[in-house]
Formats: sequence, C-alpha cells, structure tokens
Amino acid sequence: MLEGILTGLSTATMPVNLFMVFIGCFVGTFIGMLPGLGPISAIALMIPITYGLDPASGIILMAGVYYGAIFGGSTSSILINAPGCSGTVVTAFDGYPLAQKGQAGKALALAAYASFTGGTISAVFLLVAAPALASVSLSFQSADYFALMVLGLSAVAAFSGKGNILKALMMTVLGLMISTIGTDRSSGVDRFTFGRMDLVDGISFLLLAMATFALAEALMSVLKPEDNGEADEDAMRNLGSMKLNKEEIKEVAPVIARSSVLGFFVGVLPGAGATIAAFLAYGFERNLAKAKEKLKFGLGSLKGLAAPEAANNAASSGSFVPLLTLGIPGSGTTAIMLGALISYGIQPGPRLFLDNPEVFWSVIISMYVGNIVLLILNLPLIPYISRLLAVPRQVLVPMILLFSITGVYLVSFNSADILIMVIITVLAIVLRLLDFPLAPLLLGFILGGMLEDNLRRALLISDGGYSFIWERPITLTIFCITLFVLVAPLASGMWKKYRKKTVGYGASMQE
Amino acid sequence: MTISRDQIAGLVFLVFSLAYGFYATDIALLPGEEFEPINARTMPYVLSGLGAALSFFFVLASWRSAGTLKPLKLGLMAWPPVIALLVVMVIYGLILNWLGFVVSTALFLIAGFRIMGERRPKILFGVSIPFVAISWFCLTQLLDIYLAPGRLFSLLGG
Repeated sequence: MLEGILTGLSTATMPVNLFMVFIGCFVGTFIGMLPGLGPISAIALMIPITYGLDPASGIILMAGVYYGAIFGGSTSSILINAPGCSGTVVTAFDGYPLAQKGQAGKALALAAYASFTGGTISAVFLLVAAPALASVSLSFQSADYFALMVLGLSAVAAFSGKGNILKALMMTVLGLMISTIGTDRSSGVDRFTFGRMDLVDGISFLLLAMATFALAEALMSVLKPEDNGEADEDAMRNLGSMKLNKEEIKEVAPVIARSSVLGFFVGVLPGAGATIAAFLAYGFERNLAKAKEKLKFGLGSLKGLAAPEAANNAASSGSFVPLLTLGIPGSGTTAIMLGALISYGIQPGPRLFLDNPEVFWSVIISMYVGNIVLLILNLPLIPYISRLLAVPRQVLVPMILLFSITGVYLVSFNSADILIMVIITVLAIVLRLLDFPLAPLLLGFILGGMLEDNLRRALLISDGGYSFIWERPITLTIFCITLFVLVAPLASGMWKKYRKKTVGYGASMQE
Repeated sequence: MTISRDQIAGLVFLVFSLAYGFYATDIALLPGEEFEPINARTMPYVLSGLGAALSFFFVLASWRSAGTLKPLKLGLMAWPPVIALLVVMVIYGLILNWLGFVVSTALFLIAGFRIMGERRPKILFGVSIPFVAISWFCLTQLLDIYLAPGRLFSLLGG
C-alpha cells in the first residue's frame, strides 16, 4: 500500500497534475456557481479537454472540477439562495440567512473549512477502504457484477426519484434502452440503427451527457429565469469578515467531524450521494441540538451550515469508492467519470488497482491536493469569482451551448451529432418539465453495455440457467438487498397511508 | 375526465416501450443464435417488457394521485428564446461543414447573443470574433486538431 501511495504521490504532485487540480477546482467553482449548472454539467464540459491528456491527469482534472463544482454550488447557495446543484440545497437553508445578516464572508469561510475537513477525513477513509474493498472484489464473478449493477441502478432510482421511484425506474430503463442502440458487442449485428450509419457506433456517452445535462440545464435557465434581487447583489459585493472566533470553531468542530464520517458512509452507498448525505447530516444535527439551538436552524445557524457542507464533500469522496473498486458508479457524477475512464481505455473495477495503480492512487492523493487548493486558493478568490457571476447571461448562455456542441463535434467531427444532440436536448427539457430525473437515465446508459456483458457471461457459465442468481451467497445477498431497496420506499409509503387511515378512523370513532 | 400530464407521459412511455419491443423483433440473428441462452434480442425484449410494465403501473399510480400535481404554467416560461436557440443550434449543425468552423461559430455566437437580448455591436462582434480567433488558434496551433475548411470555400476556390 505504501508503494501505491508513493506512486500516487509522485503522479499527483507532477507539475502538470498540480496544474490540473488547480484549473479543475477553479473552473469547477465557476461553473458550479452558475445557478442551474451542477457538477454533472461541469464535468461533461471538461471531458473533451481531457481527451488530450493522459488518463491520470484527465481524471485528476475531473475530480478537481467535481469538488470545485460542489464548493461553487455552496457559494451560490449562500450568496444568492440559488443552489448550483442538488447537493448544496441544504446549504442554502442556513447559509443564505447568514448572508442576509451581512455575514456572507463568515458563512463562506465556514463552508470552506467544513468542506475541507469533510473532504480530508473522507479521503483518509478512502485511502483505507478502497484497496481493502478492491482486494475483496477481485473474487467477484460475472453474476456478482450483474447483481451489483442491478443494485446500483435500483438504488439510484430509489434515492433520486424526487419522491417518485416509478419515474426514476422508467428513466433507468430508458437509459438502458438507449444503450442498446448500435452494434451488438457479442454478435456484431446492428440494433435499432434503422439503416443509418451515424447510429452504428451507438450514441456517444459524451453526447448524451452534454445534451441531457449541460445543454438542457443551460436552456432551462433561460426558460425559467431566476430573479436575483438587489439585496443579493449587495451580499455579493459586501461579504463581511471571513474570520471565525474561537467559540464558533468550538461549536462547529464536533458537528463537522460527525457529519464528515456520516457523509462518507452515505457516499459509499450506491445511489445515495451528496444530496442525501447533506440532508441526513442536517437532520441529524438538528435532532442532536439543544431545544434553544434547534430554533436557530433555518435562520442562520452555524451548525446548520457546517453539517451539510462537511457531509456533501465527504460523500463526494465516498462515492469514488464503488467507482474505483467495483467499477460501478453510485451517482450521476461518478457515472459520467466512469464513461470518461472507459473512453480513455481504462476499465475501472478491481483490476484498476492492479493494472493502473497510478490512476487509482493519484486520484486519491489528488483529493487531498484538491481540498487544499479549494481552501488556500479559492477561498480568498471568492469575492473575485463571484464577480464573474455578473458576466451577463446573454453572453454566458450561448458560450455554454457552444462549448457543449463543439465539445462533442471536435471528438467525432460528425455534424449529424449536433442534430442528434438537439433532439435529445428537446426531449430532456420535456422530461425535466415533467419532473423526470435524468441522472438515472445517464447511469442506465453507461451501465447498459456492461450489464448485458456480465449477464451473458453469467448465463454462459451457468449453462443458460438462472441458477446463478442463488448459487453463490454473495450474488443472492446482493439481489436481496436490491429487492429491499426497491420495496422499502413503496412499503413505507403504503404503511404511512395505512397509519393515516387507521389513526383517522380511530379519531373519528372517538368523536 | 381529464388526463394529467403524468398520465400522458406514462402512456407515451408505454407506447414507446411497445414500439421498442416491436422493432427488437427486427434485429437480425446469426444462424443458430436463437438457441443461445442470450442473444442480441434478449436484452431489448426484457427492457421492452420492463418499460411497458413500469409505465403501466405509473399510469395507474398517477390516476390515484391525480389532482395533486402542481400546474406547470407553461405560458409563464420564456419559450421564444429557447426555441430560437434550438433552431440556431440546428442551423449551426447544418452549415458547419459548408462554412467551416471559424465562420459558422462566429455566426452562431452572434445569433446566440442577439437572441438572448444583446444589441450592442461592441459585444456582438467584440466578444464573438476574438473568441473564435482564440479558439481557432488553441485548437489548430496548440492542440494540433485539424479543422477542415468549409466545403463552400473549397468549391469556390477550386
């Protein structure tokens, strides 16, 4: 392991990679700050650039963009109450009230310290957990991988459905359907190409990611413009002091520590990710707080700001565990990184640890570096970066559209891709308006091919029978968990309805 | 009886899943492949069935929760610029091969800025043209990416 850490350290501290972390954090912060554009769009926009780099630098750049985008998202949550991504929605609960009280600087600084601690603690956990899990997962067979992918897809649907698991499951299936377009990997026959040459290679993952996230998010911001009042502009100009006093630090330190640990473990779970981690940490801290402090939550409580910030950064690092060790992304953001890694010719999973140790370790090491860059460079720069938000939208939106389109075009040099992108963007906007989550679609699309390959292998090994589902205890366990993940939300919903009915009935009987 | 937008979405997805399943029967199989435990049609069939079942349940579920949906207020959204931007993207895709990267990108940006409400020529031209020039330089000179000249110019020149 020490050897691995040293390899990672030497790769991550190469000047070019340090530069990548710096650029990644900076660009990520900027894109993350733009309301509506989240980490998935930020990473999608960077992928075409990373094609020119070697894989380690590419993934380091994207990891930097990821942290940057989450940090930038909290900045816009605090300053203008417009979360850049869903993971920082909770940050706005207490961050924005603080900014309105003229303590924007303090809120930003606290967010940065909490993110730094969350990121660092979970990077240490990752350092220990990832190699251990990777060595365990070396014994996994195709059937286990198939089961894990089904679990990942179900979990993402169960958690990201905005309360409607059916919608999310439908999107997952749609993603899987899109992944079947093109040449079948085993027999080589065309599927759903309708005789068009442009579709023989299938739809590129970059195109789908750009169209469903970057393009659709940019156009949605035009469709539903958010009005930022003058008070917000004032908050952007006068951030106030960025210093925290000793008592405040004493107050929030245990909160940050608890939330970081909680965040990491939530992040490791497939499907959960930063948003759920932030909500859980916030709720947990509110329950722990004394009655008097509880009232402060939502009105500018420092604890209420520190908890979700530490948790969402910790969860971002945690979500790399299943990606790096099993090759199964647990969230939309890591799904897009998986897509990028595959297009570099690297197969994440247990073999990554053995075949490309420099990628594996340098990503982990660059997480520390990324956290330090965010703290040392971005925090003092926030007043200036937030001024970039004042770049008029009429210039910014066409630029984002152009970056997305050319990002895809300059890889394929096929102008038909642009037309396919427009069609997918229109569909994505309609789906967004109907409240269908798009992250499950992307995940389904990326995992589709692998899912089919592993199912094929599992079936071949078990001579065409379905006994592979129950033959190995580990496969069976994973399938049972999948069933639980799918049934639990439905059952709890039904139980609540039943309770309501019986309680209502009881009350009416008493009357 | 009114149909909610969720029900319409569910029905559309149901029809789509069935059509997907129908076209899956068109997938060619290699001789003898139909006896394999899994072939090129298996996954599409499974997905089509899953999609149809899910959307069917979704339509049923949204029947029960009908009336609780918030109105969408489509009329309050800024549709004209979004549609115009989409049209400009389509046109960009069509002219890119003919006019080449530099000219079509500059036109795209100018049209995009104009649609978003920018009228000052200083911004329209002062941002787009230097931006295109810098990107052209970065792409061709620094990253060594070959950008084919527009077909129209090759025709006129040759």
